[in-house]
Amino acid sequence: MNNLNSAYAVAGSDVAFEVFDGDVIVLDMGNGKYYSFSNGGSAVWVALVAGVAPSDIANHSAHGEAVPGFVKQLHDLGLIEARPSLLPVAADSDQIAALAAANEAPDLRIFDDMADLFLADPIHDVEEPQGWPVVKQA
Amino acid sequence: MARRETGLVPTTNTTMWRTEAITTATIAGYGRHLLDVASATPEHLLATIDVALPHLDLRVRVPEGTLADAVRTAFVPWGDKASKPSRRAEITVLDPTVGDTPDPLGWGSAPYVPHEISRSLSQVGLQGSLFHDLRFWQFHDLATGQGVQLMAGPDSFPPWEPGAPLRAFLHWEYAAQGRRMTHAGTLGREGRGVLLAGAGGSGKSGTVLAGLLHGLSSVGDDYVLVDLSENRVCAFPIFTTLKQDERGARRLHLDRLLGSRELNWQGKVQFRTSDIEADIARDGLSIGAILLPKVGADATSVHVASRSEAMLGLAPSAVYQMPGERESGFRFFSRLVSMLPAYRLELGPDPEEIAAVLWQFMDELAS
Repeated sequence: MNNLNSAYAVAGSDVAFEVFDGDVIVLDMGNGKYYSFSNGGSAVWVALVAGVAPSDIANHSAHGEAVPGFVKQLHDLGLIEARPSLLPVAADSDQIAALAAANEAPDLRIFDDMADLFLADPIHDVEEPQGWPVVKQA
Repeated sequence: MARRETGLVPTTNTTMWRTEAITTATIAGYGRHLLDVASATPEHLLATIDVALPHLDLRVRVPEGTLADAVRTAFVPWGDKASKPSRRAEITVLDPTVGDTPDPLGWGSAPYVPHEISRSLSQVGLQGSLFHDLRFWQFHDLATGQGVQLMAGPDSFPPWEPGAPLRAFLHWEYAAQGRRMTHAGTLGREGRGVLLAGAGGSGKSGTVLAGLLHGLSSVGDDYVLVDLSENRVCAFPIFTTLKQDERGARRLHLDRLLGSRELNWQGKVQFRTSDIEADIARDGLSIGAILLPKVGADATSVHVASRSEAMLGLAPSAVYQMPGERESGFRFFSRLVSMLPAYRLELGPDPEEIAAVLWQFMDELAS
């Protein structure tokens, strides 16, 4: 169960993200997966990684009821982690505006085309006849 | 060629390097050992080939043979010789038929995790990679610009190597300069152009060829050098290689220009820019937009795309396909995407129509 009153942060140095005109793209360098978010999801992410507590985010969001489940999904994917030792910060005016204006519920898409190759051990995880980069099927 | 002393490098024991499998703990020492072997290899055993590339003077010491021929023909000579001072790099290509070169060692039973190995090597000033199937090792010292490529035999290289020789070394050198080898196609005219980004099969190469055959120029259809300095995006040619799958080759009537050819390792027709008298913009192209091609439309059209779409079209393969750490690539391509507008390019089947749409698009971009 996630603590909705806690501050959260990006989970470790393998997770990188960038914001493009309000759209968030996240790369998990540990497994090679890319994530893109709906505009509601991008607004939640931006506030969350700035240290705003999920409960505060839900209060400002046009899709507040969906925020706890989305935060849990981000946590379960290993993209964020709770930082109970940190005091949450208040949402700023830009974050509040983005959360209120989002016309899509918080959601994400996973792009894992490269993930198999990213994760694969090119020596021990390949089909022998073809060799790298043909990944051994599970 | 002076060996770089770091104090972090394990003691090199020549006997050990002849018998033991390499591990994450010993790979840096092995890399230093191979660099020493390269520096001790007599000049008369190797051909010396100098290649002037954008911002990089490359000297390749390589045994005569297939790879030496590839080095002589696969690079586009840099057009703007006068401009800024270049870095110098010297890559020595070795195999056990050359002098005292040892057989390449293999990897042990421990997992080989490329980005972790890259992190480990970078702590001692090295970059490196292993193509395990062939025991094909590459190590590069960024401080000295010295690199070594060790192969099990004169022709024991991956099938893509002759088309884009020494690509990993170029990646390491350019990444250290803040530039980036980029998996993208390009088209342009009068010095201005577009990047074509997308996964394999999206239509990059076919679009580049359609443009080249109808009067546009390019700096490459697969790998180009991208420079974001001076607050603008420029793309430069590196390789002369062009490729096209059989269906695309038929549609483009390439057989009239190339005759019958064997297919390459990807089942594609592979040739040089000179084979089709392509207009290569040797001084580079100033890039004004990212296009995301997609095959399968009835007619060619251009539509505005979001920057996040452009990032997802450009970055995954570009970040993955170069050896080494990945975050700097992600940041580089993020910056690139933030500097340019992005468009989806829905591709119809007619190469002439594709080129006409791109001519018009580039006219509008320039106005």
